[in-house]
Amino acid sequence: MKKIKNDGSFYVNPYLGGVMLGTVLLLSFYISGRGLGASGAVKNTVAATVNIVAPQHVEKSAYYCQFAGGDKEPMSNWLIYEVIGVLAGAFISGIIFNRLKFKVEHSPKITSRRRLIFALGGGVLFGFGTQLARGCTSGAALSGMAVLSFGGYITMIAIFGTAFVAAWVLRKNWI
Amino acid sequence: MERKYTILAVLLIILAFGLVILPKKKEQNEIDPKALLSSVVEKSRYLSVDLVTHRIIENDPTLLLIDLRPADQFKLFALPGAVNILPDSLLAATTLELMNQPGKDKVLLANSDLISEKAWLIATRSSVTRIYVMKGGMNEWFNTIIKEKPLNSAASSSDLDLVSFRNAARQFFVGASETANTPEKSKVKEKVQVIRKAPEASSGGGC
Amino acid sequence: MIGPIISSGIISPAWDNIFAVLLGMGFGFALESSGFSSSRKIIGTFFGYDFVVVKVFFTAAIVASIGLLYLSYFGLVDFSQLYIQPTFLTSAIVGGIIMGIGFAMGGFCPGTSLAAIGVGRIDGLVFFGGMFMGVFLFSESFSLFENMFYSGSQGAKMINEAFGISPELFTFFLVLAAVGMFFGAAWVQKKVKKVEY
Repeated sequence: MKKIKNDGSFYVNPYLGGVMLGTVLLLSFYISGRGLGASGAVKNTVAATVNIVAPQHVEKSAYYCQFAGGDKEPMSNWLIYEVIGVLAGAFISGIIFNRLKFKVEHSPKITSRRRLIFALGGGVLFGFGTQLARGCTSGAALSGMAVLSFGGYITMIAIFGTAFVAAWVLRKNWI
Repeated sequence: MERKYTILAVLLIILAFGLVILPKKKEQNEIDPKALLSSVVEKSRYLSVDLVTHRIIENDPTLLLIDLRPADQFKLFALPGAVNILPDSLLAATTLELMNQPGKDKVLLANSDLISEKAWLIATRSSVTRIYVMKGGMNEWFNTIIKEKPLNSAASSSDLDLVSFRNAARQFFVGASETANTPEKSKVKEKVQVIRKAPEASSGGGC
Repeated sequence: MIGPIISSGIISPAWDNIFAVLLGMGFGFALESSGFSSSRKIIGTFFGYDFVVVKVFFTAAIVASIGLLYLSYFGLVDFSQLYIQPTFLTSAIVGGIIMGIGFAMGGFCPGTSLAAIGVGRIDGLVFFGGMFMGVFLFSESFSLFENMFYSGSQGAKMINEAFGISPELFTFFLVLAAVGMFFGAAWVQKKVKKVEY
């Protein structure tokens, strides 16, 4: 039973996708004792880069020094490897379901340029928020919910609650 | 389409419900025998009567005295703050709850060390941590604190400190009349090292 | 085999990163095949035309929660060894709000933007690039936010504790709530004006 999206692309049943994701999440805890994540890899990369460019700055910074500097190896980190896997897994899915394509996906009512500007701005804000909340939707919210973490649920509610309102404010970009 | 999802939803609910009605497993985590052996051999479980007395006088809130003597002896005299637990109720749920309270150092005592040692072993095996034995038990306590242990002539100054401390402790427990020859260092302002557990390390902070 | 199997030593820690890649591949595949490489599909939840986010997210959380609790019950997983992130209430909320705005602007989150990059979506790449800037911005201005960052610490608190019920009971209620949401989503989706995406 094919579920056809308007451009003809086949997506798996979302509940099946959820079971797949949940199983991977479960395995992650079973094997490594931790859940999945994504923003941590960005943080470590930033810290490592700054460390290469300005190591004294890293030492003096109360934030960077937790992840880089000295003999810390931020890039040799579980999340970095996991992120590589995510890219690979998505690529494979793209091959199987014939979705590989370089494009900027946007609502027909706005231009590509506008979409990219908002994507950039959204990324900046999201990256910022990710540091405050010590995680993102995968690491803090999803993995947090799997182990019933209070902080995880709080962050999840904050993200989705705010996004509902903000999306409505920005609806011209989407629908 | 709707039917299929309803069935799946019901299955999911049943699965979750199963979690709720499963009988609660008793958390008898026993520690590994090798780990137990090394803590037995280590001997760091002993606390001297002097140390325990220090902490009683200072009202150390992390101290929890567990008195294993029979109830009638306990009623006759017990150390302040001691809780009477009979040896055969050592593994009762209420006892384990008492011993698994966070932030407390449990000190086992009986008349001598025989029963305290066994109780220590049993408790440690049931994964109770921060549990100690007051060496010599109540007998040693009486002989040291209440009765006076005679000083030999070659006493060092730390021995003298100890005797002054014990005299002061005796006063605390018995009343002012008893103290015999207090050596010159009669100022009993002991610098008492109360062992308080550091507050839960707050996370973060600079490097 | 008692999990987590790496920290309990059954498998040597050298395998940890290998598993990281494999698990990541499963993650990426699950995300992309469900449609999370498409920002317009993701944002559909907030406009009622595609609830894939709700369905996948909550199904995954429930499967993992139930799975872990069952495994824990049968002694196959030592729950106390699992990483439960500590709660810092203020920053969790404020960070979440900022992320929510970023989400509505960009239509992605870090994980999904990676899935998008994996299939060649440039908006995903730009979003991910923006994240680096955001992280850098925060790190440089850390002293301004340091107090907020460390305030409201409640340790590794679990959500069922906030309600005073057992983890199992909470999960049961969560399942009921999620199933309700799934049926609600199907209902809303029928009523909403069709959107070309």
